[in-house]
Order: sequence, then structure tokens, then C-alpha cells
Amino acid sequence: MQLRPGFAITLNALALYALSGLLAAAFVWQFALDELPCPLCLLQRVAFTALAIGPVLNIVRGPQPRNYGLVIIAAVFGAIVSGRQVLLHIVPGDPGFGSPVLGLHLYTWAFVVFAAAIVASAVMLMLPAQFEGEKRDARLSWFAQGAVYLIITLTLLNAFSAFAQCGLQSCPGDPVRYELFS
Amino acid sequence: MEFFLAFFNFALAMWLAWRGQERLALYLFFVGLIFSASIYMRHATSALPLTF
Repeated sequence: MQLRPGFAITLNALALYALSGLLAAAFVWQFALDELPCPLCLLQRVAFTALAIGPVLNIVRGPQPRNYGLVIIAAVFGAIVSGRQVLLHIVPGDPGFGSPVLGLHLYTWAFVVFAAAIVASAVMLMLPAQFEGEKRDARLSWFAQGAVYLIITLTLLNAFSAFAQCGLQSCPGDPVRYELFS
Repeated sequence: MEFFLAFFNFALAMWLAWRGQERLALYLFFVGLIFSASIYMRHATSALPLTF
């Protein structure tokens, strides 16, 4: 299967929009349902932002195998963190942390997403045509530019949200308020 | 505070990648991952809170 560099860049931009959607959904849980993220939850959000570095590099400089490797490394870290949180609440009778979505808690869905990112990167690495020839057009499409700006914005919003939640100290294990405003 | 630094680090890495500073972005990516791993070790407990 031949994957042109331009289409590969579009797929990477779609991945950034998907990551942005995940981070935005996490904000909905945090502010609309008043469910503050625990330290492990915040670490999973950090892992999602780390996932974005590879696609951003692919969009800016053209697809390179190394960038999909960055995605895999970040996804492995995210899977370890979310996997741990799954195991912490896997004992029968444990209600879990936070409200479930379609029967699964957010950390379980996060594990699914990280596993999917590893598989997707593996599939992309098996399509070498995107790494050959002209890297990309001189001008990026608004679709790709918007994806990069959106993920950077959501990452910064998460940074300030984490600062409001934890203040200048280490984040509490079971957060119930915004320490900066208490 | 540590999570603010982690998020800011990756936001900066993305921005540097966008501006063409590829090598610096890669350094920040790996520094950020190592820092995040240290946060994980800091917050993870060594025992599962079993109910029995």
C-alpha cells in the first residue's frame, strides 16, 4: 500500500485532533462533573501531550520513522501509568476512581488509547512510501496548522489547570479542591 | 507544581518543533519523559490497597 507524504501528514493532523479531543473531554469531566484529576490521572494527561510530539514533527518536517518511535515510547509510558491505575482498582468490589464512561473508567479508556497508538504507529512504520521523495508542500494546510495550535493550547491549559489544582506544592493523592484558590 | 512543569515542558517541545528547532524539541521530549517517570515513582505506592 502506497501512502503519500501529504496523506500521512493529514493522518498525523487527525491524530493531533483526536488527542486534543481527549484532553478537552478530560476538562469536561474536571469542570462540568467536578471530578479533579488525581496524580496518576494527570500523568496520563502528560503522556497524551508527549504522544503529540511525534505527529508535530511529522507535520513540520515531513514523516520520519523516528517520529513514530517517539509516539511508541510515549505510549508505552502512558500504558504503564494507566495500567497501574487499572490494577489499583481491579479488586472485585472496588468502585474505581471517577465516573465510568460506557462501563469503563477513564484510566481504562486511556490504556486502550495508548495501546491503539502503539498499533497505529507500528502500522505507519510499515508504509515506507511516506518517507521517500518530497517531504511536504512548502505551505502547510490550515487543517494541519490548526491541529498543532490546538494541541499546544490544550497542553498549556492543562499546565495552568495543574498549577491551580496543586499550587506550589506536590499534588495531593486524592484531590478535592484547587489549592491555589483555597 | 511538578505537573505544571511537565505540561509546560511538552508544550515548549511542541512549540520548538513547530519553529523548526528539531534537536531541542527532541531533548525536551526525553527530558520530559524522564521527569514524568520520576513523578510516577514519586506518586506510585508500593502496595495495592486491598480490601481484604
